[in-house]
Amino acid sequence: MTLPARRLVKDPRALDDLLRTGQVRRAPALDPHRPRPISTGVPTLDAALGGGLMRGQLHEIVAPPGSGGTALLRAALSAATTVGELCALVDPDDAFDPRPKGIDLTRLLWVRPHDPVQALRAAEIALEARFGLVAIDLGGSAPKPRLQRGVVQVVRFEKKAPSPGASPWARLARRAEKHDGALLVLTRSAQAGTFAATTIELERGPSLWDGPPGSPGRLLRGVRTDCAVTRHKRMPPSGPLPIHVPLEAQ
Amino acid sequence: MPRIACLWVPDLPLCAAVRAEPQLATAPLAVVQAGDLGGRAHVLAATPAAFGVERGQTLAEARAICPALVHRQASAERERAAAQGAVEAAAAVSPRFEEASRGLVYLDADGLGRLFGDDRGVARALVTAAERVGLRAAVGIAAGKSLARLAARAAAPDLSFEVTRHGLGGGAFRVVAPEEQATFLAGLPLLALDLSDELQQTLRRFGLNTVGDVSRLPPGPLAARLGPEGAVLWRLARGEDTAALAPRPSPARFEEGEELEWDVQSIEPLLFVWKALLDRLAQRLRARGLMARELLLQLRLANASWDERTLHLAAPTREVAPLLQLLRLNVEGSPPAAGVTAVRLGVTPVPEVLDQLPLFGARTASPTQLAAAVARLSALVGPDRVGQPVCPDRWAPFAAEVTRFAPPPAPVVPRPPPDGEVALAARALRPPRTAEVRCDAAGTPLLVIGEGALGGRVVASAGPWRTVAEWWTDAPVALDSYDLEVAGGLLLRASRELSSGAWWIEAVYD
Repeated sequence: MTLPARRLVKDPRALDDLLRTGQVRRAPALDPHRPRPISTGVPTLDAALGGGLMRGQLHEIVAPPGSGGTALLRAALSAATTVGELCALVDPDDAFDPRPKGIDLTRLLWVRPHDPVQALRAAEIALEARFGLVAIDLGGSAPKPRLQRGVVQVVRFEKKAPSPGASPWARLARRAEKHDGALLVLTRSAQAGTFAATTIELERGPSLWDGPPGSPGRLLRGVRTDCAVTRHKRMPPSGPLPIHVPLEAQ
Repeated sequence: MPRIACLWVPDLPLCAAVRAEPQLATAPLAVVQAGDLGGRAHVLAATPAAFGVERGQTLAEARAICPALVHRQASAERERAAAQGAVEAAAAVSPRFEEASRGLVYLDADGLGRLFGDDRGVARALVTAAERVGLRAAVGIAAGKSLARLAARAAAPDLSFEVTRHGLGGGAFRVVAPEEQATFLAGLPLLALDLSDELQQTLRRFGLNTVGDVSRLPPGPLAARLGPEGAVLWRLARGEDTAALAPRPSPARFEEGEELEWDVQSIEPLLFVWKALLDRLAQRLRARGLMARELLLQLRLANASWDERTLHLAAPTREVAPLLQLLRLNVEGSPPAAGVTAVRLGVTPVPEVLDQLPLFGARTASPTQLAAAVARLSALVGPDRVGQPVCPDRWAPFAAEVTRFAPPPAPVVPRPPPDGEVALAARALRPPRTAEVRCDAAGTPLLVIGEGALGGRVVASAGPWRTVAEWWTDAPVALDSYDLEVAGGLLLRASRELSSGAWWIEAVYD
């Protein structure tokens, strides 16, 4: 060990030679090029993603209401906070429920922007602060009130609402890459397009109920969902991955 | 023998002006004091570029000498902040200090050898600390307060005029060692002492011109002719400094201020002023290794009242951008009652949050980065909408609150991810949406008429589950809850209030 150390002092490039010849080996934990994916909490989905959610990339969950998109988002947050990652949840719908167990809430920063434009900006700030996983929940399940028949909507020429700017997804993908954070977006329809490194689509199956209809002991047990990685930059799309999403105890 | 250091900022008005506007340091600048009752303005101090302009000249005289002269009114707010900067510079070197007047601070220089070396090292550290807060200081170290002040005055001719990015630099120091004290005092002119004009004239009539001349006189006759002042003068001339240091606690708040030339009615000019003040505050905090925990904004209004606001920061920070945004949001949210004539910003400091980079694995968010990010997010969405989610200590459907985000350190040995199954989650509707629900004779829901898509024919249902809570308060809760699947696939959590019979949709399962 003395000889390489002497060489290192005299010749700064000696370390490269030593690494090339195998005299010095890099510890796996210190290898900066070693991918450290973040688990989604679903082993079959992790396998289809090549290990999990890769850092420095934008991942998109496209899920219709009731198909378990929020459940998958929570599972990813749960897995990430359990292993010690700092996570941020950007929740413009103010829909997060902190009661169920699983997520280490001490490691979760909950941000409730007033609109989706603020949500995108908040996600940028969280990525710049080097959060391991930044999740944006754009699965607003509360639709806007429908106009009643016969009501005439008056259009006013007022100040324009704040715009997210040109291609916010490109900007977010670049931020994620620069700051090495995983960005997970839950939407009801595909939004990020080609800027998403992976797209996970969910399809709602039947809901599961226990007990005969009308009986006092009848319970909602959960739903069946088919999950698939429909887009991956480095891997072929996966086949359907059936997932049982049970209702957790309230 | 005690060692006392004196930090003196000569030409404090000029230092304060250059500190506030560093771009004027190379310009022919004069700081003027307006006369009483609209009298003529007199020059207090001028930069070397204003050649020929001297203290005491009227502004018209100064302009006649230097036509390109730029002048600034002496600002009490700026001088106040500069004087506080001098105190901080002293506090950065010694914990025992005393502010005698604005720009004049004494400090205990004993026992600092292990930190700064000998007296010269202490003096050099003081000059550097003053320059770090944008002040050009003369430093003297001697055996007592009066002697240290005389030493600082003796160092004043060595001051140079250097421009730094924080303000003025070019400080100088003079150390009077115990063995050279007599020599130092002997050659000192009596004009260097703070004596009354009457006493100066008397001494001159006696043929006494230097401190050494006084020290050679017998004490009794001098005191008999000149009174107690003469006795004090004789003791000082002999190097017997009896004035004791009276240490003061460090200021609890860092403040910077600015007086405005006219009443400001809009936010943009205030942003401009706040930015400069925050820059200087951040520099002062950085020099002391501190961060801001709380921000105090004081606005002097045109109706001579003060508008005070306290902004509690979500996390300590000294980043200017988020603080500026917080100020903007606060003032835009509740504008002041009248135009603003002066601004004062104060921060309550806390020790800097130090971060240790991880040895294994990639770099993660440091406490400082987290603090800045939380502050920026608070400024963006509001402080009550950012933080760690918690369940409140009361019952309400899907109630949630946020508390201060202070994550624990990352585990040394990473834990394996859980391999549990994905559980169906409830997306809370805050506030719950009202709905009309039609039921059959047995009370089973058949049709939900809700806002937008939150409705439809009920295809499956479970319930009810009765909840009675908060009965010990003035707002008791009693309701029956149902899980409903409506046509279209939505899974809803709906509740019926027992007292009124009103239906609410509280959450959507997803």
